[in-house]
Amino acid sequence: MDLKDKLVSSFLAFENNVDVHNPVHDVRTEAIKNFETKGFPSRKEEAWKYTSLNSLQKIDFSIFPKKESSLEYKDVKKYFIHQIDTYKIVFIDGVFSSNLSETTHDGVDICLMSSALTKPMYKAVIDVYFNKVASKDESLTTLNTAFSREGAYIYIPKNKVPKKPIEIIHFSTGNDVALMLQPRNLIIAEENSEMQIIERHQSLTSNAVLTNCVTEIFAAKNAIVDYYKVQNDVDSASLVDNTYVDQKDGSHVKVHTFSFGGKLLRNNLNFYQNGERIDSTMKGITIIGDKQHVDHHTLVHHIEPNCESHQDYKGIYADSSTGVFNGKIIVDKIAQKTNAFQKNNNILISDKATINTKPQLEIFADDVKCSHGCTIGQLDEEALFYLQSRGIPKKEARALLMYAFANNVLESVSIPELKVRINKLIANKLGVNLGFDL
Amino acid sequence: MAYTEEELKKELETKEYEYGFYTDIESDTFPIGLSEEIVIAISKKKNEPQWMTDWRIEAYRVWEKMEEPDWANVHYEKPDFQAISYYSAPKKADPNKKLEDVDPELLEMYKKLGISVDEQKKLQNVAVDIVVDSVSVATTFKKTLAEKGIIFMPISEAIQEHPELVRKYMGSIVPTTDNFYAALNSAVFTDGSFCYIPKGVRCPMELSTYFRINQAGTGQFERTLLVADEGSYVSYLEGCTAPSRDENQLHAAVVELIAMDDAEIKYSTVQNWFPGNKEGKGGVYNFVTKRALCEKNAKVSWTQVETGSAVTWKYPSCILKGDNSIGEFYSIAVTNNYQQADTGTKMIHLGKNTRSTIISKGISAGKSQNSYRGLVQVSSRADNARNFSQCDSLLMGNECGAHTFPYIEVKNKSAMVEHEATTSKIGEEQIFYCNQRGIDTEKAIALIVNGFSKEVLNKLPMEFAVEAQKLLEISLEGSVG
Amino acid sequence: MLKIKDLHANVEGKEILRGINLEVNAGEVHAIMGPNGSGKSTLASVIAGNETYEVTAGDIFLNGENIEDLSPEERAHNGVFLSFQYPVEIPGVSVTNFMKTAINESRKAKGLEDMPAKDMLKLIRDKSELLEIDRKFLSRSLNEGFSGGEKKRNEIFQMAMLEPKLAILDETDSGLDIDALRIVANGVNKLKSKDNAVVVITHYQRLLEYIVPDFVHVLYNGKIVKSGTKELAMELEEKGYDWIKQEAAV
Ligand SMILES: Nc1ncnc2c1ncn2[C@@H]1O[C@H](COP(=O)(O)OP(=O)(O)OP(=O)(O)O)[C@@H](O)[C@H]1O
Ligand SMILES: [Mg+2]
Repeated sequence: MDLKDKLVSSFLAFENNVDVHNPVHDVRTEAIKNFETKGFPSRKEEAWKYTSLNSLQKIDFSIFPKKESSLEYKDVKKYFIHQIDTYKIVFIDGVFSSNLSETTHDGVDICLMSSALTKPMYKAVIDVYFNKVASKDESLTTLNTAFSREGAYIYIPKNKVPKKPIEIIHFSTGNDVALMLQPRNLIIAEENSEMQIIERHQSLTSNAVLTNCVTEIFAAKNAIVDYYKVQNDVDSASLVDNTYVDQKDGSHVKVHTFSFGGKLLRNNLNFYQNGERIDSTMKGITIIGDKQHVDHHTLVHHIEPNCESHQDYKGIYADSSTGVFNGKIIVDKIAQKTNAFQKNNNILISDKATINTKPQLEIFADDVKCSHGCTIGQLDEEALFYLQSRGIPKKEARALLMYAFANNVLESVSIPELKVRINKLIANKLGVNLGFDL
Repeated sequence: MAYTEEELKKELETKEYEYGFYTDIESDTFPIGLSEEIVIAISKKKNEPQWMTDWRIEAYRVWEKMEEPDWANVHYEKPDFQAISYYSAPKKADPNKKLEDVDPELLEMYKKLGISVDEQKKLQNVAVDIVVDSVSVATTFKKTLAEKGIIFMPISEAIQEHPELVRKYMGSIVPTTDNFYAALNSAVFTDGSFCYIPKGVRCPMELSTYFRINQAGTGQFERTLLVADEGSYVSYLEGCTAPSRDENQLHAAVVELIAMDDAEIKYSTVQNWFPGNKEGKGGVYNFVTKRALCEKNAKVSWTQVETGSAVTWKYPSCILKGDNSIGEFYSIAVTNNYQQADTGTKMIHLGKNTRSTIISKGISAGKSQNSYRGLVQVSSRADNARNFSQCDSLLMGNECGAHTFPYIEVKNKSAMVEHEATTSKIGEEQIFYCNQRGIDTEKAIALIVNGFSKEVLNKLPMEFAVEAQKLLEISLEGSVG
Repeated sequence: MLKIKDLHANVEGKEILRGINLEVNAGEVHAIMGPNGSGKSTLASVIAGNETYEVTAGDIFLNGENIEDLSPEERAHNGVFLSFQYPVEIPGVSVTNFMKTAINESRKAKGLEDMPAKDMLKLIRDKSELLEIDRKFLSRSLNEGFSGGEKKRNEIFQMAMLEPKLAILDETDSGLDIDALRIVANGVNKLKSKDNAVVVITHYQRLLEYIVPDFVHVLYNGKIVKSGTKELAMELEEKGYDWIKQEAAV
């Protein structure tokens, strides 16, 4: 049975374990229908021109974990930003792990999607937000919606700021030979609230994992959401990460994506600016090798006037890796005085590496400033020579320059400990000895 | 560049599409519709050898199975290919006759077109081939060119006189199966120009083709084949006009360029097909396939000024096959009223040290949509390939759109690819500054747009640059709110 | 020549000019000084007809005619020239091309034929010599990549080409080196006659040593709070604006 059929038929089993009378289930039913007609995206579709899911569909994934597993904190500590205190929402093979987590209801809700979807006290919020910004026809999103049951639920009321950053971590243990996970996160920042989130998907064995994740983020008036995606998984794990952001007046949402590992990574990052004076920032660093494949697909839809968006993606590709960047900016007719900027710089360091990039501007308003720039190239030979002339050997000099190339994206990271961590990861990846402890 | 203020002013007085006249020439037109029989009939009519007929039939069969592409960012009512007449020739045309014999009405038409098939051109050193509707009606300077071994003649004649050359190269760059419109063109093309520059020859004059659709309900499917043999050089100009008509006219051309080792081809187009009226009625559908092959050290430059057509679908491309070959694309595309343009280029880097430059300037006004679509591809063997692309869009008014779709695919680590794109509008401060110096707003915009397009205008041969500048101004008239 | 009566002007709802009265006669040189943000450039823009600024009250007369309804280009055709504090860049348009267009548009407005190319060339040659401008400079894109001083010198070159009746020079001296200042000032002086008038906006006494003003006005908070002769400029140079501000506050 191919993966699509398996998923569709699993939906019946899934229904046995959820409340089918909950209105949420109508949404799921609608979604599975949609997925059934559409199926997995193929390379014939413009949005998937450079990324194929064919080989993944040949794997016989379990749709639900066969048994529950547990993990000791000390064994997985290194995957947390353990230097600082954080709220933690942790899942093991898709199941919430209460012993690794630290949730809260103290003025803010940092808890579970399963509770939010089922408990009456959350119904009002779910009615307003659940599946409201996520696409209703993108096939992988609808697939996730159909199976949406668990994930992180974060609700920050007006004027509130949680005491500490929030970490969302999904572990997979390899209990199943191949496991498919479909986490669903809902993040709501009410007026004037603020939060920082770090999200990570981590497989602990070499068994195959496919994660198809959907996150909906709602940023109300003047809210600030600072979101970090750390993607440094093992070579047998693949991730399709769909993020949908709905922004209102004066809100500021930043998403940083650090893609350093995994077999296939596809990031769909969609911003909808439903208000004025909005700022949307998307930054990414991709450093991969082997046969890894990373595809960044961004969309910023400027719907109202006087907003800004900033995109800055850097990539370094070694071995037979492939990078894709597809950044789309749409400026509607009434979105006058929009400033939209996009940068995508890439370095190929192997003859077998490939980069495909497609920036895309679609502009319908005249009083706008929009630009995109894209480069593919090598390190600056002059800079290399300069470093060599100061006695730094060529290999180290190259690594150092690459490090500098990627590193300036980090300036906007607002959690110092995370910045240090990412810094180290980059240095490690590039084989740079920074010569000082970070 | 010569300053053309005076001329510009005169042009400003004629607000309507200035080439929108229809010449009443008796013509010989096929019934509408397309079938294998029609394809064969066209071939017969032109007295073609069997290989040519077979080639057309094959293309027709391929076309029948193809679907009209719809990926471009243009929206229009698909033409009814069975409602078009695929052959229309001015009756009195005879390719062998001398200038004096040319139908006086035709000559009058050339005059209106601003092309004179006479001494004037001799002075300007331009040899012209004119294609009206479907057939070539006059080629000048054939003898002068022949002395250098240059062949410049209607392609229908070349099929008769130089079958070995035509057979060898036609379809070698744009195969019949390439795309829907190319296949259609291959099946039904009726004329066009053929040009061959022998080894080491520098063509002493600009070669030029003027295309014009005259007859109602006809499609124009011309085919241009230009072969520059080793070490040769040619600069080629192409101009297009069509009368204003309410219904849409179809134009699906194929242009193939072959630049052999060390050869250089400059190909310039000023496309001014009827764009449709202010309400978006009528206008030409311009679906063109243009492609060049560059061998070792060869260079091809495409320069285009696109101001006409209701719908444009056109991507002049370079296959940089030979090491050290160079491809260039300089484009200005202006859309106004309801025009739609989806145009750009493909630079395919296959050889080592290949270089390409893309400068594209899009100007959108009225309710028009203007898209740049480009592909820069660097294959794994193309060491040290370089590309620089710059795509700038200027928006005038708030009902138009500007879109950029650059695809970049790189498989070689030594490649250097740089792409920049900007979108902006004409600044109010710029207009006030001009106003303060006594220049009114309409003139100020023309000035600023010309400045914006300068890098591309500069690439055109002088004579065309002046005309192109005028065209820019005319096509943006009435766009100032 | 120029008569301004109780002029009030707003930008984005904020009142910048709050009742300006000024009279400039043919043959005169006026200097306007005043602290940053006091409204000097705004006044110049309003005289030139910039529609960003909304005139809420008052009148401007040019040669006795109210110019309220004239567009900026019509004012230019009537002899108003503004040397911009921040000249605007127009990529791809050469200085020469720009000047040809400007001159011929003005001539057209007056019902004259285009200036013959020969005369145009001569004019360009004469004026560029007057301002010691390298001819190569004139083929560059207007103001694009020009240094601050080059922009200012280019403004005066344009003034020389257009021979205005009323020239308003907004901080034309800032950014000029010592030699350039002398050259520009000389140029202005040579163009001065009993039939035209010059208004110089400046922060420095230095320029006024070259272009000697008949009157000096101090603009503060959207009003001319003090007028005098060239001695006032020297006094300001010495004492700054505090005493004026205090006087104005009283
Ligand atoms: N377009 C505008 N939008 C908003 N405020 C403006 C605008 N133009 C001018 N202003 C404001 O009006 C005031 C006067 O500005 P103006 O430029 O006339 O001053 P100035 O006297 O020329 O100053 P400076 O000596 O620094 O050149 C300032 O506060 C300025 O910020
Ligand atoms: Mg000022």
